[in-house]
Amino acid sequence: MRETPIGTPIRRLDAISKASGTQMYLSDYRFDGMLYSRMVRSTVARGRIAAINMPPLPDGYYFITHKDIPEGGVNELYMIKKDYRCFAEGDVRYIGETIGLLVGPDRGVLLDLEQGIVIEYEEGVPSISIEEGLACKGGPFVGDRNLFCDFTIDKGNIDEVLAKAYRVVEDEINTGWQEHVHLETNAAVAEKEGDKFIINISCQCPFYVRKSVAGLMNRPFEDIIVRQTTTGGAFGGKEHFPDILAGPLLVAVNKIGKPIQLVFDRHEDGAFSVKRHPSRTRFKTALDKDGNILGMDIDVVYNAGAYESCSYVVLQRGVFHAAGVYTIPVTRVRGRAVATNTFPSDAFRGFGAPQTLFAIEVHMCHLANELGIDPLELKKRYFNKKGDITVTNGHINDTVVLSEMLQQVMEASGYAQKAATYKPGSGKGIGISFYNHGGAFTGNGEQMIIKAKAKLHRRADGIVAILVGSTEMGQGLQTALAKIVARVLDVDQDRVVYDNPDTSCVADSGPTVASRSTMIVGKLLERAALEMKERWEEPGEIITQAEYQHPEGYPWDQSTFQGDAYITYGWGVCAVEVEVDPLTREVITKGVWSSHDVGVPIDELVVKGQIHGGIIQSLGYAAMEKLENTAKKGFKQVGLSDYIIPTSMDFPAQTATLVHNPYPYGPFGAKGMGELVFNGASAAFIDAVSRAVDTEIRSIPIPPETLTELMKHGA
Amino acid sequence: MVREIQFRLNGKDVSVICDPLKRLLDVLREDLGMVGTKEACGEGECGACSVLRDGAIVTTCMIPMGAVQGCEITTIEGLRETERGKCLIEAFADGGAVQCGFCIPGMVIAAESLLASNPHPTNEQIRHGISGNLCRCTGYDLIVDSIRLASERGNGLW
Amino acid sequence: MVETSYIPKDLEEALRLRKETGAKPIAGGTDLMVAHRRGTGVVPKFPWPVMIVSQLAVFKGIRLEDGEVSIGAGCTCHEIEVSELVPWPVRMAASLMGAQSLRNLATIGGNVCNASPKADLPVPLLMLDARLELASVSGIRQISLNDFLVGPKKTALRDDELLMRVIIPAVNPAFTYLWYRKIGTRRANAISKLSLCAAITIDTEGMVTDFRSASGAAGPRIARNRMVEEMLIGIPITDIEERLPAFLDAYDGILAPQAMPEYRRSSTRRMLEHFLRTAVTRPAHGIIE
Repeated sequence: MRETPIGTPIRRLDAISKASGTQMYLSDYRFDGMLYSRMVRSTVARGRIAAINMPPLPDGYYFITHKDIPEGGVNELYMIKKDYRCFAEGDVRYIGETIGLLVGPDRGVLLDLEQGIVIEYEEGVPSISIEEGLACKGGPFVGDRNLFCDFTIDKGNIDEVLAKAYRVVEDEINTGWQEHVHLETNAAVAEKEGDKFIINISCQCPFYVRKSVAGLMNRPFEDIIVRQTTTGGAFGGKEHFPDILAGPLLVAVNKIGKPIQLVFDRHEDGAFSVKRHPSRTRFKTALDKDGNILGMDIDVVYNAGAYESCSYVVLQRGVFHAAGVYTIPVTRVRGRAVATNTFPSDAFRGFGAPQTLFAIEVHMCHLANELGIDPLELKKRYFNKKGDITVTNGHINDTVVLSEMLQQVMEASGYAQKAATYKPGSGKGIGISFYNHGGAFTGNGEQMIIKAKAKLHRRADGIVAILVGSTEMGQGLQTALAKIVARVLDVDQDRVVYDNPDTSCVADSGPTVASRSTMIVGKLLERAALEMKERWEEPGEIITQAEYQHPEGYPWDQSTFQGDAYITYGWGVCAVEVEVDPLTREVITKGVWSSHDVGVPIDELVVKGQIHGGIIQSLGYAAMEKLENTAKKGFKQVGLSDYIIPTSMDFPAQTATLVHNPYPYGPFGAKGMGELVFNGASAAFIDAVSRAVDTEIRSIPIPPETLTELMKHGA
Repeated sequence: MVREIQFRLNGKDVSVICDPLKRLLDVLREDLGMVGTKEACGEGECGACSVLRDGAIVTTCMIPMGAVQGCEITTIEGLRETERGKCLIEAFADGGAVQCGFCIPGMVIAAESLLASNPHPTNEQIRHGISGNLCRCTGYDLIVDSIRLASERGNGLW
Repeated sequence: MVETSYIPKDLEEALRLRKETGAKPIAGGTDLMVAHRRGTGVVPKFPWPVMIVSQLAVFKGIRLEDGEVSIGAGCTCHEIEVSELVPWPVRMAASLMGAQSLRNLATIGGNVCNASPKADLPVPLLMLDARLELASVSGIRQISLNDFLVGPKKTALRDDELLMRVIIPAVNPAFTYLWYRKIGTRRANAISKLSLCAAITIDTEGMVTDFRSASGAAGPRIARNRMVEEMLIGIPITDIEERLPAFLDAYDGILAPQAMPEYRRSSTRRMLEHFLRTAVTRPAHGIIE
């Protein structure tokens, strides 16, 4: 049995309980004496709060605001920065900003009270779009340029290259907001146990929540205990956003003393939660007279919304992925995160990489059109190879197996024959994209910031418990980590348990983000398990622990963004075939083929689930997930009848393959992959549609009405 | 104004005293503790709150209790005790259908509803059968595979 | 104390409640329960009294009566979708409404009385000259669907009336070619972005003896205009091509989409053009795709 490869699927640890409906999620729990709560939010995008006129509060009802933060506490949520407030105080910066929390025993009464509150504002002029933010419409509200950050990385001298170019091709690619639509909305229950505060919460990063809210109480982290409840999807939407629920709840529990539940309904979750950053990427690409790419000047702007949260970090990842999987001789990439009066943008699967990867793929297709060659031919010439210099003047350390992956996708999809047969504008098209995703935190973040730890405990009953802060949110981490530990210890799978983390019991293994959990935490657990195995014959309980060690020889300077931004990448190739309905311009996807290098899969079925799910999210992003935002009303498509995500009928069954390419510092050779699989299908889809209708597409999403407009103007 | 509503729930007679406009979903989850039925959209779009009413799949977020009088309701708590339910749950586990799991009880109900009327569906028929159940994790392929697996394994059950 | 909701035991009680309290019926609940929801654990609140009528058999049943199809107002989309008595375009529209779980609840009565410009069933019903039977304590009357649909969310239903059934008259001779297409926000479980139902009858001489077309989600009301249709009636089918530009312009004139006008207008034009040009080729199959 132990001879089977690590990747051979096992039944997921959480499968039976979830399929049979016995698995409890946050809203399934009832606590003794539990009260309910509703957020009271800003209804204007920018302004000063002139007055809050409250209806009379019945006995047992409370309205919690910044005034209820105890002495010594600070009205801030400590995410990456401390700029995000727990409660608006004086001014509001976006529609949906938390002003207060209504608390009481009856949800109907809370609704009536919410509707009875009249808040008077002195309204300012908001900026919503990237252009409005850059133009400081209504006056800047962050610094003097509305920029949270603005930085540039150079490889060679792009000005010289542009000056001597035979020609320069300019391009601009835009992407829109995207909503996570984790099926379980954001949800938390806070309570008091003795002198400690307990936050039960659907989240990715229990230690983030603890760190973020402790300052509100002016208490040490340890006084706040965060217990993750089984999380019904997250995709980045529960990385920092749970702090927005936890903060007000903590202040309320401190005042009221009883357990308080806060569960968003779907419309709240759609209208008043973080989204993927909209982006605008501009290219100036220098070509010589033979059509060779000499250099690219890339200007990336992300719409960060009203608070920085993690936008600087998201933008860094976007900038570092801006040249895609291509080695371009000379590059300059400038990145800016612009402040606007929209709900803050935040983490979403891919974390800034999908926007620039989409842009470079589309731009490469446009260059190929300019040169009159198949996009694939152009892209292949510039594939990264081991040892190539990256945009941050670091190295590609992986043996890059894009060619083998391409071969698999070509064979499965019939790309060559279809690309040749489907004439531009024929209504049929096949497209192809290439992408990667840097594993774990950027640069030396794992070493300098995260400093992850992992703990294993062989209990008296002989069961081995995994004690880490990493969370299962559907991606299969419980199964993957338990499998690694069982395999190293050479024990049956059911001897290893991995419960939802409680910050008072587990080691801080870092946040469950950045496709780092299998690769980094899995490796720590592998080491902890190896030590446990050596001590296996000891009687009684055994606890082993491992701390992160950064591999030698991968220099990175976080102050200049120079060096190896990532030690390793996951890699992907995706082909998409479409037909465009000649009458209605509906795009019908006929086939989706992909190949990925995730190092070595820890569980092939879990990996397959990630690939298929990530690709559909990416196709939805490009095809249908339209999310508009207006200064008066905020997000427009907020329910699931308006914000359109794919059903089982929208895309066909996929064909997905893997190329094994073991990563020496990962457990059993595994690399990160949860985000990689989101990063490329959108570009392949747009490539296919562009060919089918013979029209260049520079913006997503493209529902049929948008495609119709494009075709009209293109013609 | 409350009334007594009587219906059969998972094979047992149940009587609930409530406002006839109260949603069946709230009665199941909060009054009867059947929390396997999930709420994800509250407007009949996602299928997470699906149950069978007289054998037909319905979304309980849209059903007033007054419309449940005399009906036979089957939730995941009832289905999981049946041979068909067990077959489906095992197949979902083996086929990799489960990720975050929030849509899955509703998805199992949809699979039961489909197989009850079409024991050996094609892949296209399976996709059609679960098209009212949104899943954000899986991309549906492994759910389709799992329902096909259940259909094969459960030959004769439906 | 005034009741907020009723569960009438028969039609007589329902009509009396309608007259005395103005209570509005809830059948499937798919529109009303959602529109008036107040969130988890909170009972939906309606601005008027309501009566739950889903249990009343009098609103059920699909029957053939004097060559006409009678569909009870309480029939669900699923029942309509699977009934062989119901004309094809109505079955198609029913089959493409929402998801299976919705089709098991949503009724034709609700879909008609909601009077949404995006509603699915009224599009083919209007094309088929459907009539409605309305009842009150004072008696029964019939009204054409065309007269019933007054505007967006507005109908000619009186405060004391209930919709009993929808009647679809027989079409004689039968249509030669039929078209139904719904463009949804996605490929299943979708709200209509645009729909078009059309039919043409060609006699043995090759003359067009009837032509009809109705558009959903293309204006504040389901669009249909007999005068525009008549532009194509009484001509040889072979003359369609030369009449097409003027007809398409005239049809465009009855559409009034507010959002995505270019898309809705041009797609309608392409679909009509395709339907009519295909009909000219006289394919063997009556349903044109």
